Amino acid sequence: MTTFAAPTEPLVRIRGLTTVLNGKTIFDALDLDIPRGKVTAIMGPSGTGKTTLLKHVTGQMRGDAGQVLVDGQDVPELSREKLFALREKIGYLFQNSALLTDFDVFENVAFPLRQHTQLPEVLIRNIVLTKLQAVGLRGAAGLMPAELSGGMARRVALARAIVFDPMLILYDEPFVGLDPIALSQVLKLIRTLNETLGITSVLVAHELEAIKQVADHVYLIANGKVVAQGDPKTIAEDGSPWTRQFFGGAIDGPVPFQYPADDYAQALGLAGARA
Amino acid sequence: MSQRNSYAVGTGLFIVLGFAALAYLATQTTSVANTHQGASYTVQAHFANIGQLKERAPVKIAGVRVGQVRTIALDPKREAADVTLAIDERYSHIPDDSVATIFTSGLLGDQYVGIEYGNSKKDLAEGATLARTKPAQQLEEMLGKFFGAGGVADNLGGSYVLKARFSNVGALSVGAPVKMAGVPIGSVMAVHADPVKLDAEVELAIDRKYDQIPDDSAAAVFTSGLIGTQYVAVQPGGSPEFLKNGDEMVLTQSAMQLEDLIGKFLVNGSPTEKKEAPAESPAGKH
Amino acid sequence: MSAQPRRNVVTNALAQIGEAGLFLLTLLAAVPRSLRHVRETVRQLWFVGAMSLTIIMVCGLFVGMVLGLQLYYVLSIFGGTAASGTVVAIAIYRELGPVVTALLFAGRAGTSVTAEIGLMRATDQLAAMEMMAVDPIAYVAVPRYLAGLIAMPLLCAVFCALGIFGGHLVGVTWLGIDNGTFWSNMTATVDVWKDVVNGILVKSLAFGAVVSLIAVYQGYTTPPTSEGVAYATTRTVVASSIAILALDFVLTAFLM
Repeated sequence: MTTFAAPTEPLVRIRGLTTVLNGKTIFDALDLDIPRGKVTAIMGPSGTGKTTLLKHVTGQMRGDAGQVLVDGQDVPELSREKLFALREKIGYLFQNSALLTDFDVFENVAFPLRQHTQLPEVLIRNIVLTKLQAVGLRGAAGLMPAELSGGMARRVALARAIVFDPMLILYDEPFVGLDPIALSQVLKLIRTLNETLGITSVLVAHELEAIKQVADHVYLIANGKVVAQGDPKTIAEDGSPWTRQFFGGAIDGPVPFQYPADDYAQALGLAGARA
Repeated sequence: MSQRNSYAVGTGLFIVLGFAALAYLATQTTSVANTHQGASYTVQAHFANIGQLKERAPVKIAGVRVGQVRTIALDPKREAADVTLAIDERYSHIPDDSVATIFTSGLLGDQYVGIEYGNSKKDLAEGATLARTKPAQQLEEMLGKFFGAGGVADNLGGSYVLKARFSNVGALSVGAPVKMAGVPIGSVMAVHADPVKLDAEVELAIDRKYDQIPDDSAAAVFTSGLIGTQYVAVQPGGSPEFLKNGDEMVLTQSAMQLEDLIGKFLVNGSPTEKKEAPAESPAGKH
Repeated sequence: MSAQPRRNVVTNALAQIGEAGLFLLTLLAAVPRSLRHVRETVRQLWFVGAMSLTIIMVCGLFVGMVLGLQLYYVLSIFGGTAASGTVVAIAIYRELGPVVTALLFAGRAGTSVTAEIGLMRATDQLAAMEMMAVDPIAYVAVPRYLAGLIAMPLLCAVFCALGIFGGHLVGVTWLGIDNGTFWSNMTATVDVWKDVVNGILVKSLAFGAVVSLIAVYQGYTTPPTSEGVAYATTRTVVASSIAILALDFVLTAFLM
């Protein structure tokens, strides 16, 4: 890496990102900054492309226009080698954990180490056990992924995501399907990792209550743009129609109930009835 | 990790097994094969002609396998084949004046070396030479006269009928070809036994093109090749008169009992196979 | 490549062949990168090769035994039972060994490769590898492809050995063909290059390349649903079987 971004620079800076998928505009000149060392939450109605946004940050997807700067590097312009080098510094927690079903918990966490380093077995073992201890699953090292509950699998995936001590962790819907206890555990982990290791975290989630406990900053995305942002504790009261509908759970508002369609009356063969 | 090691070991075993199978097949079941055997002793024999004898062919005494042919080499000085026989050590009391002969198992079978005991009191020793040998019989030479070309004459040009009587028609069947000089000229129309004369009366349908067959011609039942079907061969005589429709051919030669004739060449361990007809009847089963 | 409309069978088949061909290029381009995953290749060799041994051995034995039995009855009509060793060996080396091994391999290992890769895609495991900066083509696809390529000739050799053993068992041990005649006829007629190398190495390498490609390709392009995985597994067997038999004809015509 030749250029070091100043510590005050945001870790991720998205400028004018425009993405069209199958004729549908997902992002429309989106601007967004992820500050270093903070926990940032990205919220929004289903289908607004929150997960897609994470994929842009990691280079799994490329936009049609705009910049995605991660640590000063423009992700869409990176070569495969540079992109892979960047990804080694990014942890990604999949919604369904995506543990490798062939391997047990230990080998799953050890997988990135084995792939990218030639560390001696003792060292690998120590690192893996440390990470498993951090997520409270050192005792489950010998289990296969199929034997884990959803919450445990997510914690294993988290241990795997932090095995390289990344600079950035992306959490894709980390709270879905967790019971209250598991939810608290995951929340505590996210917070602890952020505080103790200084890892910048990005959460994609719907649960405002959970986010209030963990996030420093919230973006609300709708219609391909950031429609609101701010402190999670106060954003619901900022008075914009978007936040009122989203956090109030109202059916009517800027987010339409109807999926975009042609005229209803015409579709029913009642053309002219509305005239 | 022990898990990793077990994969590696199992995979290694698999690869070794696969290559071992490949090596075994390539060396042991093909022409690359070496002779290999248990405890045995070797004996030399020189044959004037080994026919189709191959390495690893069996060596038999009284029909019982006692060893195998180890090597076959030409001795250029004597224009003879040097055959090394590996004989099982259990059979160590073979008289040193025994006779080695090359035989054929069945009509199509492979050749093997048969040893017939002599009278000597001395046993064959390791490396000894069997002085008395009989070469392979060139069966095809002896049976050459029975070989004929195949094919059935077509009767499109119309035909006329001749009769012939045989004391034995062998396996001759209706539809079998009638040949002259090896060329089909007609076919067998009917075969039936004469209840009075106690022989076989055969009606031959001869193509009209061939209407100048001398009336002293002979008819014989032959076999096409060793295992072919039987046919009637017409051997023209010298008479100026020609055979006409309905005439009978007086001179006939019945089917040769091939197995009688060549039986002495077909020495075989299985007595049932000696009785097999070379033509169409199935070979004897065990 | 989601569920395609079945408007035109021929066009679809051509498109599949074309896509598979391009996929092969991707695979081959990734071979150097996958050299660091040799361990994974060894592990896959265990799954597709060593784990297929049982079925290959049992089937090889029975194919050889049936062949020995049939040949005995047919050849005994001509008094030629001595040739059964030759015919067993040649039939197995030239056709039955490579073809039956490949068909069994497609059913046993091909389907499991397809289903495994399909499920890895459906459960985001491939995406997770991407995110861990591990190239799934180099780590998942290529090792399975190479393992299939290596395993096929080895399995075929084992199949042939068991087949000949089966033929020998029936012909010599049960039906009384002379042991020496059986072997001497075989060794005199079977040629290392024309029969063993062409059959076991050339043919089964070609079959291994095709079956593995189909299995990996089908898995890799599976729609990430349970229905998609089931459909892809079926297609692996169907496409592999057709490809094996068609390729066998072409290869036989060329090798003869």
